[in-house]
Amino acid sequence: MTNGLDLEFSFNEALKSFGVPSEIAHIIWLPFPMLIVLVAAVVGVLVTVWLERKISAAAQQRIGPEYAGALGVLQPIADGLKLLVKEDIIPEKADSILFTAGPILVLVPVILSWLIVPFGQNLLISNVGVGIFLWIALSSIQPIGLLMSGYASNNKYSLLGGLRAAAQSISYEIPLALSVLAIVMMTNSLSTVDIVEQQSGAGILSWNIWRQPIGFVIFWICALAECERLPFDLPEAEEELVAGYQTEYAGMKFALFYLGSYINLILSALLVSVLYLGGWGFPIPVETISRILNIPIDTSLVQVITATLGIVMTILKAYLLVFIAILLRWTTPRVRIDQLLDLGWKFLLPISLANLLLTAGLKLALPKFFGG
Amino acid sequence: MKDFFQKVNSYVKEAFGASKYLFDGISVTFDHLKRRPVTVQYPYEKLIPSERYRGRIHYEFDKCIACEVCVRVCPINLPVVDWVMNKETKKKELRNYSIDFGACIFCGNCVEYCPTNCLSMTEEYELATFDRHNLNYDNVALGRLPTNVTSDPTVKSLKELTYLPKGVMDPHDVSPSDSRVGKLPEEVLDWMITSKSSEEVPVGK
Repeated sequence: MTNGLDLEFSFNEALKSFGVPSEIAHIIWLPFPMLIVLVAAVVGVLVTVWLERKISAAAQQRIGPEYAGALGVLQPIADGLKLLVKEDIIPEKADSILFTAGPILVLVPVILSWLIVPFGQNLLISNVGVGIFLWIALSSIQPIGLLMSGYASNNKYSLLGGLRAAAQSISYEIPLALSVLAIVMMTNSLSTVDIVEQQSGAGILSWNIWRQPIGFVIFWICALAECERLPFDLPEAEEELVAGYQTEYAGMKFALFYLGSYINLILSALLVSVLYLGGWGFPIPVETISRILNIPIDTSLVQVITATLGIVMTILKAYLLVFIAILLRWTTPRVRIDQLLDLGWKFLLPISLANLLLTAGLKLALPKFFGG
Repeated sequence: MKDFFQKVNSYVKEAFGASKYLFDGISVTFDHLKRRPVTVQYPYEKLIPSERYRGRIHYEFDKCIACEVCVRVCPINLPVVDWVMNKETKKKELRNYSIDFGACIFCGNCVEYCPTNCLSMTEEYELATFDRHNLNYDNVALGRLPTNVTSDPTVKSLKELTYLPKGVMDPHDVSPSDSRVGKLPEEVLDWMITSKSSEEVPVGK
């Protein structure tokens, strides 16, 4: 593998040539990727909200947002602006501190998880060694925020919604972690960059989805449950719980929940594409293409093209999964709470354990294909 | 051991069955994506109501004989017929007539039973007001001609599904001159006359 485009390195080199010490250059560099990822996350949410509304409309023979911008592309911005200027209400009998902390505690871990999403060889904020484990750890902070806001609202619907959300998040975290563990076992590393590199040998054929089909399905089901997407959206089931833990929220605090749920959806889709669909990898490896075209891979133009292709591929795969999630939303009925817990504990957990065992066995038997 | 494998087998079969149903469902949803929207963008586009549409009631004051049949057939005795007996001519003299559309259910019984046909149903359905008392129409308001969707230049009028040509589902691409599916009553009559005359059976027997 080549090192690919390393913007941080080039940036630091450029600053050093102006006589800036490398520590200070590093500090100057730090805010850029964070800002870019934050902007990318928010833009991703806007795009997803628009896509969700348009695809939902198409699935129901409607038109969807039409008048705010061309084809209604500005509708999510209009929605966001509306929420921004709405009165921020804290109910009189609510616990105001917990009520305010809840949505923040839901949103912050989700945004923090973007730390480990790679868009290219060096196109991620931080290639932390614990990588994917960090995401699993961060995502278990979320139910605390949900419980907090459910309890602090001092409302029966909110409390029930919060309890359901917590129960759901906790019980689906285990199969999720176990299916990730199978991948980690194959890669011998927790780092997301290593996971993608492990899949980049033979293009589409070496993607983890072929080696971990069961893990892929389990991961996707659990990711939907973590995002409270439709077959598992019972924490906010409007027919029974009004809006679950969001019932008492309005204005900016509600917007935080809304933003959080959509960022989480994109994040889950990105992680599925990283873990199972080869991340930034093109279906045909870029090295093979450059060898056929007889272009050395180290030239800067090729590097830029490869990096762009990587970003496009990651986003494309993620949005394909978002599309499937939206289709699923209009296909599947909502499960009951007992069915949800049955599926989580009695079906997904044993299967993911068996999958882990199978992976371990295959790793010993066929180390060539399962990363010995 | 055999029992265990049988259990696992049925478990796997169940899981595959469930995923098959899920896939079938998704393919139905996906198929719907290809269909065109049926939306009528209301203030800018309006459907032309059918001939039998039961909209706001039209009333002709001069035809009315103040018999109050409309009041008797009305489920809630809604029409108010304000008349006095003229002692000299010994005839009823109608002063006022009103129907409160806030309470009317547009059943059309009054129209059905009116002996002089002074009541009729129109295609008008946009009766919204800021005050419910404005829905109480007097004989002047009831006598106004209905607004017409096709004559409004700001509105694109669309044909309802049953008025579209055969096989067409989208009213947007239909020109007003296109005839609806099937035969109109006049055409049915023509067809009956021609088919009967060919059998040499006298018409009207």
